[in-house]
Amino acid sequence: MLIENLQKSFGQHEVLKGVALKIEKGEILGFVGGNGAGKTTTLNCITGLVEQDCGKVMINNVLKSQSLAYKKQFYFIPDTIHVFPNIAAYDWIHFVLSLYERTDDAKLQSFIHIFGMEKSINKPMGTFSYGMLHKMALITAFTISPPILIMDEPLNGLDPLAVVAFKNCLKEYVENGGTVLFSTHLLDVAEKICRSICFLKDGKIVLHESLENLLVDGSLETIFMEKQANEG
Amino acid sequence: MSAFIALSKKEVQQMAREFKILWLPIVFILLGLTQPIMMYYLPVILQSAGGIEGIIIDPTMAKPEGQEVLASTLNSQFDQLGIIILAVATMSIIQGEKANGMMGFILTRPVSISSYLNSKIIIHYILAVICIALGYAVSYGYSAYLFTTVPMTQAMWAFVFYCVWLLFIITFVAMISTFFNSPAFIALISIVILLVCRFIAGLHPFIDAVNPASNSLSAANILMTGNLEARYSIHIIVTLLLVLLMITTMHGFIAKKKF
Repeated sequence: MLIENLQKSFGQHEVLKGVALKIEKGEILGFVGGNGAGKTTTLNCITGLVEQDCGKVMINNVLKSQSLAYKKQFYFIPDTIHVFPNIAAYDWIHFVLSLYERTDDAKLQSFIHIFGMEKSINKPMGTFSYGMLHKMALITAFTISPPILIMDEPLNGLDPLAVVAFKNCLKEYVENGGTVLFSTHLLDVAEKICRSICFLKDGKIVLHESLENLLVDGSLETIFMEKQANEG
Repeated sequence: MSAFIALSKKEVQQMAREFKILWLPIVFILLGLTQPIMMYYLPVILQSAGGIEGIIIDPTMAKPEGQEVLASTLNSQFDQLGIIILAVATMSIIQGEKANGMMGFILTRPVSISSYLNSKIIIHYILAVICIALGYAVSYGYSAYLFTTVPMTQAMWAFVFYCVWLLFIITFVAMISTFFNSPAFIALISIVILLVCRFIAGLHPFIDAVNPASNSLSAANILMTGNLEARYSIHIIVTLLLVLLMITTMHGFIAKKKF
C-alpha cells in the first residue's frame, strides 16, 4: 500500500497534513497516536469513506480512483459496526461475503467456531453487544481474507478469549500473504501484535519504524510519551 | 452484477422483516376495492346517511361504465391516497441507511454506487407495481361485476402507462431521500410535488409534454377511449429521461460524499 501526501480538512480544521506511508506485503502496521491525531481520518480516506482533498492512495498498484477494483483489495472494520438490527448475523455475513464473491461456508463455520459465536450466529444483530458485533466483523474479515485488512480499534469490546483468537487468526492470515493496518490506543497490544509502528501526531507521521528497532530504545509506552512531549 | 443481486436480496429481506411486503399490497387492494363499491352504493349510502334532503337522484340516470370506474380508481384512489402511501413507505429508502451508517459501510465494499441505487429503486418499484397491479385487478373484477367489463387489452395498456408514472414516483422519492435527512420533510416535499404534478396534468399541452403525471392521464384516456395516441409516447420518453436524470443526480451527490 502506498500513500502519498494525504491531506484532509474539515472546514477550517486541517486534520491530515500530508500523510505519506508505504506498507509492504506481510506487514502488520499499528497506527498509534493521541485522540484527534488523524488516525481514523487516515483510515477513512484510505477506505473511501471520506474523500481526501489532496494526495494519492494505491493498493497493489490499484489507485483509489479505480473504485471497484480498489475496493476488492481490502476489508475495512470501522470502530462502530453498522448493522440491520432485525437481520440474523449469519444472513448478514452471507450478504457481505456475496459482495466479495466469496461462498466458502466451511471456512466461515470454522471462524464462527474459533470466535465462539455458534450459539448467537442465528440471532438478530440488534440483540448483540458491542464486542459480539466486533467478533462478527472479524469472522467476516478473516473468511473473506482480502489482500489488506484495515481495522479501526479492532480489539475494542473483545473478551480475552476473542483477543487470543484474534491474534492467532491474524498470525495465520499474515503467514498466508495478508497485510494488516490497524489503529489502536492499546500500546501493550500493539507491542505484542505489530511488526512495525507508525506514530501520528497533529495530522503528520512523526515516526515509522519496525518494532524490533523501536524496542531497542525502550518500551512503546516510553517512546510514545517522548514523542508526544517532543513534538508538542 | 453479483453485488446488485446481493443488494436486491438484502432489500427484499429488509422489506419482509418490516412486513412492508404484506401491508402495502393489502392497503392497495383496499384502495382498489373502495372505488367500484363506493360508486355502486353511493345513492344507498347517501340515503342511509340522511344526506339525501334536497338532492334528487334520477332513477333513470345511466350507470357508469366499467371504464369510468377503473379510470377513477387510478385517478382518485391511486393518484391521491396511493401517492401519499407510497411516499411514506419509500421515504427512508436512502435516508435510513445514511442515518444508521449502512450506506457508508456498503459503499466501502466492492459495490458501485449504480448497483446500490439501482437495487433500491428497482426492488421498491417492483413492490409498488405488484401493489398497484393487485389493487387494479381487484378494481377491474369489481367493476366488471357491478358495472360493465373493460376490454382486457385496454386495461393492460392503461396499466403499462400508469407503471411509467409509478417509476417516476419511486425514483423521485428516492432522490429526495438522498438529498435530505429528515423523513418527515422527505415525505412532505415528495407528496406536495407529486400531487402538484398530478393536479396540473391536463391543463396545457406544453406542461403535459414535460409532466410525468401525464402518463396517469394517458392511462385514464386509454381506458375511456381505447385509443393509443402518438403523444403518449412522448410522455413516456420524457418521463424515462427525467428518471435517468434523477438517478445521475443521486449518483453525483453520493459520489461527492455529500451524506
